[in-house]
Amino acid sequence: MGKLVVANNLTLTYENNPVIKSSNFTINSGDFVFLTGVSGSGKTTIIKSLYGELKPHSGNLRIGEFNLFNISKSKLSTLRKHLGIVFQDFKLIPEWNILKNVMLPLLIAGVNKNEAEQRAMEYLSRVKLSHKADKFPAELSGGEQQRAAIARATIHNPVMILADEPISGLDEYSASLVMDLFIKANQKGITIVIASHSIPTEFSINFRQLHIEKGKIYELA
Amino acid sequence: MSSLKSHFTLILALISILFSIFLFKTFSQILYKYKQNIIDNYSIVIVSTKQLSPNDVDNLGTLKQININNELKKLKQKYPNIDFSNITLPYFYKLKLNTLPSPKELENIKNELLNKPFIKKVMTKSSAQTKIYNLLMLLEIITKTFMYLIGILGFLLILKQLEVWKLLHNERMYIMELFGAPFWFRGAALFKIAFIDSLISLIITFILIIFVTNLTIFQKVINDLGINYQIDYLKDFGLLFVISFIISFISSILVVIGKK
Repeated sequence: MGKLVVANNLTLTYENNPVIKSSNFTINSGDFVFLTGVSGSGKTTIIKSLYGELKPHSGNLRIGEFNLFNISKSKLSTLRKHLGIVFQDFKLIPEWNILKNVMLPLLIAGVNKNEAEQRAMEYLSRVKLSHKADKFPAELSGGEQQRAAIARATIHNPVMILADEPISGLDEYSASLVMDLFIKANQKGITIVIASHSIPTEFSINFRQLHIEKGKIYELA
Repeated sequence: MSSLKSHFTLILALISILFSIFLFKTFSQILYKYKQNIIDNYSIVIVSTKQLSPNDVDNLGTLKQININNELKKLKQKYPNIDFSNITLPYFYKLKLNTLPSPKELENIKNELLNKPFIKKVMTKSSAQTKIYNLLMLLEIITKTFMYLIGILGFLLILKQLEVWKLLHNERMYIMELFGAPFWFRGAALFKIAFIDSLISLIITFILIIFVTNLTIFQKVINDLGINYQIDYLKDFGLLFVISFIISFISSILVVIGKK
């Protein structure tokens, strides 16, 4: 497996305070990675830096051919087209129905509307939401919204899915459905990086755990 | 409802700007034509000891010699005892000015001409001209101020609209950006709104223009001014079309660029 993400001496700051200090880590293609740590440890900061929302303060951070330290806007757009992002607050477009929300990455990629619609329906059925395709986000429960967000994050076959606390606040059933979707995506070869304060019990596949403590990142066995 | 309200704000702003531009343009053209009309009917009479060329009057306008033969004939009949052949008569000219001068400019022109040794007399219809000139200037200032005020009001409404648009579209554009959407994709919804609103404003403004310009009072004022003024609807529509789309598209682009 090739190295997909390489961080060398990476320092990330949040509001001028160093959150991650001179840390090194790598993520290989196809890895299933849990990024763990206590609240405020810097999990979200790392996820944000991986999708280019936060520029590294110093050091080196690469995703494939993209150097996130000095990435241009157009290259960042290209990179993001190859990523799937899942947020704790779902970030579904409120004025769009679920079907259109799921279609978003395909529409951005220039896939024609009919084909995008067809594929979105297929992905909605995978996340067991095809019956809610025409509903708006506000009409869905948290768990349903997160499943829709995962369908949106996977529909364009991204190389990597970045998920920030995707199961926090969900009930046990919804959380297990959501984790199952990540596992299925990973089985298709998609690299998964999940920021979570804990790892779900009875987790059935091999995974790596990168733990953040006092600004440093450690790999736990 | 709020979406309808936001459409209404932009449409109202655009209509006020477009209509003020139309009025500004129309008033300027009417004033220009009226000034031309006055210039055409206005001239300075110059009495000179020699024949004049345009250079002699500093190319201020068109010189036309006044034929005094008829007047001379009348004088000869009236005063048969006087031998007019021994009298050297001066040359009389009408100077038609290129532009309508202000009273002060007219006074300067008169003094400059009188400073030339061969010019003996300069006659201007100063008092009538001054009144008309002052009236025209006053009208121009009032209309321009009025148009600027409407324009500023429209501009302020558009600024307010930009804030509303930011609130309405910011989240969607941000999410799209997170998924790598290019600029045109993020702004597509706004561009569409801008296009539709521009079109609606343009149509309403044009209905308003046709209504106003066909009002009896408008036609009467034009006729009373004695000028030949025809509104070129096609040209005006083209101009307002371009302005309307430029304003709304720049506004929408500013929102997409200024997204936080």
